[in-house]
Amino acid sequence: MLPVADAPSVRRYARELLARYPGRLATALGLHALAAASGLAAPRLLGELVQGVHTGTTGWTVDRIAIAIAFFVVVQAVLVNLATYASARLGERVLAELREEFVERVLALPLSTVERAGSGDLITRSSRDVAALSNSVRYAVPEILIAAVTVVLTVAGLIAVAPLLALLSVVSLPVLVLGTRWYLRRAPAGYLRENAAYTDLMDGLAETVEGARTVEALRTAGRRQARTKVDLRRSYRTERYTLYLRTVWFPVADLAYLLPTVATLLAGGWMYLAGWVTLGQVTAGTLYVQQLVDPLDRFLSWLDELQVGGASLARILGVAHVPDDRVPVPEKPVGRQLAACGVRYSYVDGRDVLHGIDLVVRPGERLAVVGPSGAGKSTLGRLLAGVAPPRVGSVAVGGVPLVGLPLPELRGSVALVTQEHHVFAGTLRDNVSLARPDANAVQIRAALRAVDALRWVEALPQGLDTVVGSGGRQLSPAQAQQVALARLVLADPHTLVLDEATSLIDPRAARHLERSLAAVLHGRTVIAIAHRLFSAHDADRVAVVIDGHITELGSHDDLVAAGGAYADLWRSWQADLPRQGVQDGEEDHHGKGHAKGHDQWARVRGGLVSG
Amino acid sequence: MKDLPVADPGEPDHRNATRYLIWLARTQAATLAGGVAFGIAWMAAPAFMPAVIGRAVDAIAAGDQGDLSEATAVLIGLGCLQAVAGIMRHRFAVTNWLSAAYRTVQVTVRHATRLGATLTQRVAAGEVVAIGTSDIGQLGNAMDVTARAAGAIFAIVVVTVLLLSVSLPLGLVVVVGVPVLMGIVAVLLRPLHRRSQEYRELTGDLTNRAGDIVAGLRVLRGVGGESVFAARYRERSQEVRAAGVNVARVDSVLKAAQILVPGLFVMLVTWLGARFALDGRISVGELVAFYGYATFLIMPLRNLTEAADRLIRGHVAARRVVRLLQLTPEVTDPEQPLPMPPDGDLHDPESGVHVRAGGVTAIAADNPADAQRIADRLGRYDPDSRVLLGGVPLSKLPVAAVRERILVADNDARLFNGPLHAELGGPRDRLPGALHAASAGDVITALPKGLDTPIVERGREFSGGQQQRLRLARALQADPPVLVLVEPTSAVDAHTEARIAARLAGHRRGRTTVICTTSPLLLDRADYVVHVVSGRAAAEGRHRELLERSPAYRATVGRQP
Repeated sequence: MLPVADAPSVRRYARELLARYPGRLATALGLHALAAASGLAAPRLLGELVQGVHTGTTGWTVDRIAIAIAFFVVVQAVLVNLATYASARLGERVLAELREEFVERVLALPLSTVERAGSGDLITRSSRDVAALSNSVRYAVPEILIAAVTVVLTVAGLIAVAPLLALLSVVSLPVLVLGTRWYLRRAPAGYLRENAAYTDLMDGLAETVEGARTVEALRTAGRRQARTKVDLRRSYRTERYTLYLRTVWFPVADLAYLLPTVATLLAGGWMYLAGWVTLGQVTAGTLYVQQLVDPLDRFLSWLDELQVGGASLARILGVAHVPDDRVPVPEKPVGRQLAACGVRYSYVDGRDVLHGIDLVVRPGERLAVVGPSGAGKSTLGRLLAGVAPPRVGSVAVGGVPLVGLPLPELRGSVALVTQEHHVFAGTLRDNVSLARPDANAVQIRAALRAVDALRWVEALPQGLDTVVGSGGRQLSPAQAQQVALARLVLADPHTLVLDEATSLIDPRAARHLERSLAAVLHGRTVIAIAHRLFSAHDADRVAVVIDGHITELGSHDDLVAAGGAYADLWRSWQADLPRQGVQDGEEDHHGKGHAKGHDQWARVRGGLVSG
Repeated sequence: MKDLPVADPGEPDHRNATRYLIWLARTQAATLAGGVAFGIAWMAAPAFMPAVIGRAVDAIAAGDQGDLSEATAVLIGLGCLQAVAGIMRHRFAVTNWLSAAYRTVQVTVRHATRLGATLTQRVAAGEVVAIGTSDIGQLGNAMDVTARAAGAIFAIVVVTVLLLSVSLPLGLVVVVGVPVLMGIVAVLLRPLHRRSQEYRELTGDLTNRAGDIVAGLRVLRGVGGESVFAARYRERSQEVRAAGVNVARVDSVLKAAQILVPGLFVMLVTWLGARFALDGRISVGELVAFYGYATFLIMPLRNLTEAADRLIRGHVAARRVVRLLQLTPEVTDPEQPLPMPPDGDLHDPESGVHVRAGGVTAIAADNPADAQRIADRLGRYDPDSRVLLGGVPLSKLPVAAVRERILVADNDARLFNGPLHAELGGPRDRLPGALHAASAGDVITALPKGLDTPIVERGREFSGGQQQRLRLARALQADPPVLVLVEPTSAVDAHTEARIAARLAGHRRGRTTVICTTSPLLLDRADYVVHVVSGRAAAEGRHRELLERSPAYRATVGRQP
């Protein structure tokens, strides 16, 4: 999990953000205040109207007051228009900055973090959290600010009209504060759970749809429906919880809104009879108190949204809190020799997956790394590419530790391509020229040709300008791997680490590709981790990694001649005759059986019982 | 409160969108009625409040303490009614929302599983997923809003009657004015919707872009290009900002109109009322009440426009759901199914491939796509499959029985989220055997919680080879009488491939297994190999024999340097 920013730094950031545009903020707030103030005219004028009608007045006075009401309505409408626009513009600007800063922070995440952390957490932050924050900035923040301004001004209007009556408007304050506090303590967590349950439900639905064929094949329709029911039940539980919170809070708030109106009317009546206030004052006061309900309600009901937005902001800011694991050193590499010395590495404390690897890769050499899965090949590849520092020992190029090279320099020297084959949304050209945005079409084509991809790329209707990736044309996994390799060819580092970089390509096509790639990469150092032994056969040297050790190192022919594990592997991979035991000896039984010919298979099957 | 989700969602009426909506409404008629009842009570209370406040003002003006106390008592009563009816209305509305949404999820999932392989061929997954992410919400909204809509209509009627009974001309002003106001707001809402839609689309695009960056972050951080991506994102983000400002431009006009139009209406009513009060045709309190009515009416009006909007959107959403529900599986049951033959060879006349019962048959095709096609025919995923099982055409057998008999496991099969042991399925005591045969034991032991570890994100945290071995283990656990494996070892290393090749046949002993592969290791372990050239069986025999006598076969499967 990536870190989450703590409350003080979120608050500090929010303050900084608001302070970035003091002028715009003041304008927006000022306009909203003026709009709210002009909204206070109508009740007061109505009070005058009532007073006038009550004590007797002329038709002209009535008309004048009506015109005044209309005037203030128009003024308020114009001000609301300006204020809404001004605050929305400010909101959009702040929002754009927030998300752009977030993406920049993501793009600056340390290599090791990116490699280690699953993308799930980061995807949630980039989608759900950005959306929640957007909701806060677009709606919650302005609504709350406007409501607060309106409440304050309405109370001010009330005080101006009838200070005695104004005192009554606070009768329900304690109830409202207590009720809302009770609600806000529970609501954000409740809504987060509700959203999480909903996301699970949607994930389940998406899975069922995307994997519909698998569901049919494995006859797991019942299980999918059961899972849906479980998800629905969980979603329902979370919904019921928040409903319970609202069931308590809404009536409390409703009654709290009603109390001041009743109190104002009752007390106003007595005061009027006592001669302390006029009928107009009572009317205006009652209407003001009623007019308080709406902004107060909006203020309170947006608070939980603001809390959710704050939590999202904390996660978004947290991305910046990942410490950098690269400490650039001033030395410049001398030569291009890549050397690992006494390298140990562990993902979990106390469980090393590499146990003291020593390896010198000669410049221009093609080294194949083979071994059973889980032996530590990919980890070794990552360390050789400088993605992460070894726990013990060093990996250096030209005498300088890889993790000490500044990032641009590292990329110019060593690059890693894994079997992960992400295709970015955009044109094929964009995808290939990622590391060299200035590359021209000729260079891009040459890179694609080097990976046997030019033919299918040119067969596409829009060629290099075909939009691929999410929302565009779907490339097959094999094509995606070719694009990834073309990208690397164009980037042209002097050392390449290929971790199963052709594993998804049809075996025969892969071999052709590797040969054509080798021609283009002539003179470059290539470390290829591969499960297909063609790569090993064609390499200058082969390193066999088993259980975190390099157990064999030498040319293909030498290793085959030596008759060790690699020789066994090579023979078994080719399914060459005569058969040799590969792993645990059980194969020998089968070997004998197989020689008997296909019409004997029933007996062979009987013979396999022992295996 | 109702217990959700329901055990059986029932069979929806999917003839068209309207009928689907009606069907949904019927299934929850009782809670809809409850919502409507409380919606009416909830809206009626504030509708009567202006009259009561007016009476209070009159009482104050007349100096009548008794009347004032009575009026405030009524006011408190109405307030309590509003609070209670309000929360009950809300509870029913939430139940209605959830009932509609959950039921739609249930029928969608059920139909998706009925469609099976057909689904992915006939509709884009995104289309169906959109049902989940947006349509069910719209359907819920349509059901939820009925309570408020009923209350709004009721309140408007009540206020109109009250106004007409006090003053005919004033009442008429309101009766005519209300539809006019609705019309004005509706006209303004349209451009707002259009721009909001555009904004939502751009935002969706931007979110995808951020997701794209995150998903490809390893690549980006590995080879560079961050600045290009940051710049591109910024560009799009600014477009979204411009669209947001565009929305605000209309929205601010709408907000102003929402002040101006009702405001002027209130002014008109108040002015007329004051004139009448001056003439003594109505009392001061009634004037205050008129003002109260005019301001109150804004709320039911808004609810009513919202209801119309939600019903339209609900209808659009129902259309998409109905489109899915109208799809039928491509592979269907025969009208008069034959009984399932007990056991027997599989024969595909189209390719000439013959699979013997009980053994391991390998299909080595010069073109991998041909092998997949044969596998699809053998498993009857191809509606035109003429494959015979023990002499009986698969097309004459019930589809469910064929699926039970024959399992096609290919590399497009997906891993589902959930605990690993549940995903692998089958009896747990047989799991070690299946994992061993698939050489997947080390995948499990490396996990912190072993078989109880949850699979997340469709198993993306496993490497390609690990995923393949887990899929193989799952297929073996299913233990079908006939198992068709398509390239089961294409992504695993040589050691692992050798292990799987050595163990697979033993594990499947006594059952029919077909392996589409060009791996010499697997081919060598097969009882019988069929070499498929250009989609037709060209040669058959044991691997070693074919190697010796067929140069074409050597070219297909050869791993010689």
